[in-house]
Amino acid sequence: MKIPDSKTSRNDSTSAEDTLRLIANLPAPAGLEDRIHTGLLAHARSSQRAGRVLAWPATSTAGSAWMRSAAAAAIVFVVAGGGWGVYSRVQQPQAAKMIVMPHVSAPGEFTNAGAMRTPKTLSGPVLVQPATVKAAQAKPATKAAAKPTQPSTAKSTAKAAVQPTVPAAK
Amino acid sequence: MEIPESTLLNKSRQHADEETLAALVSQYAGTLYRVAFSVLRNAADAEDAVQEAFLRVLRHRDTLGEVRDQRVWLIRIVWNIVLDRKRRAKTRPETDDVAELARVLQSDGLSAEQIASAAQHHAHVLAQVERLPAKEREVLMLSAFEELNSVEIAEVLGITESSVRSRLFRARNLMADLLQHTRS
Repeated sequence: MKIPDSKTSRNDSTSAEDTLRLIANLPAPAGLEDRIHTGLLAHARSSQRAGRVLAWPATSTAGSAWMRSAAAAAIVFVVAGGGWGVYSRVQQPQAAKMIVMPHVSAPGEFTNAGAMRTPKTLSGPVLVQPATVKAAQAKPATKAAAKPTQPSTAKSTAKAAVQPTVPAAK
Repeated sequence: MEIPESTLLNKSRQHADEETLAALVSQYAGTLYRVAFSVLRNAADAEDAVQEAFLRVLRHRDTLGEVRDQRVWLIRIVWNIVLDRKRRAKTRPETDDVAELARVLQSDGLSAEQIASAAQHHAHVLAQVERLPAKEREVLMLSAFEELNSVEIAEVLGITESSVRSRLFRARNLMADLLQHTRS
């Protein structure tokens, strides 16, 4: 370990660089390479195990050619059969039996002026009569209710009796 | 059973990659460890960083042939890893502790008092280095490695050589100011 000597004329920055150089030149711990190499090998093995990919065309031999073609034929058969099944089950939309032309108004005829839809008119507010008027109207009604109804009914029956019958035919 | 040629090629290529990687590990593991330790100042963290650097090399082994200077390339990888780790951890370096620094820096034929005094001085200097701006600090730390010249430092940091020189000049001045200020 270097000891800082105050008697020497080295300036401060050099002293700082000496310290950094001392740290930078520290020897690596023993067995570092071996540990790193072991770690790398372990990582390589684990990654190979995790991401194994079959080298399919490369590993297959000539004797298994018929098996490959049979598998390919089976795949083609399944795909084609499935497609045909779906096609045969789905009903095709029927063509229109007649063609309906849009209505075109004749010259001189009323049109809707291009309006596609006329909105409904909103109903206006309901006016409520003032309470004083109601009260004034209510008084004669009560008086009328107090009077006996017999004379009026008698008059109406009498009128009905006087009126001659009108023939229905014009 | 016939083994296809492509399988043999793959195996031979994989074997060659492994051999190249093993050679890189045995050649540069020590250098990378020292670079990592200079930033992290923790033995276990530095070793982890070196391991991670070689794992990255393993992942990108296909590009190994394109690398011009493998040493600088590896130092750059480990440098980025340690800076990232330091940024994420934001922990105080272990060797800020004087006792720990005395343990790490081996001493020969010194008394306990001298060792303690030296460790204290180094701890103080390292604390001041941490106060430097990041750009200047990085250049100063890399310049401490004898195996790196200014061109290689520029390659590691991804800057020009003139920038390295100007930053180093600034770092030295700032360091002198900091140490003078703390002494006064």
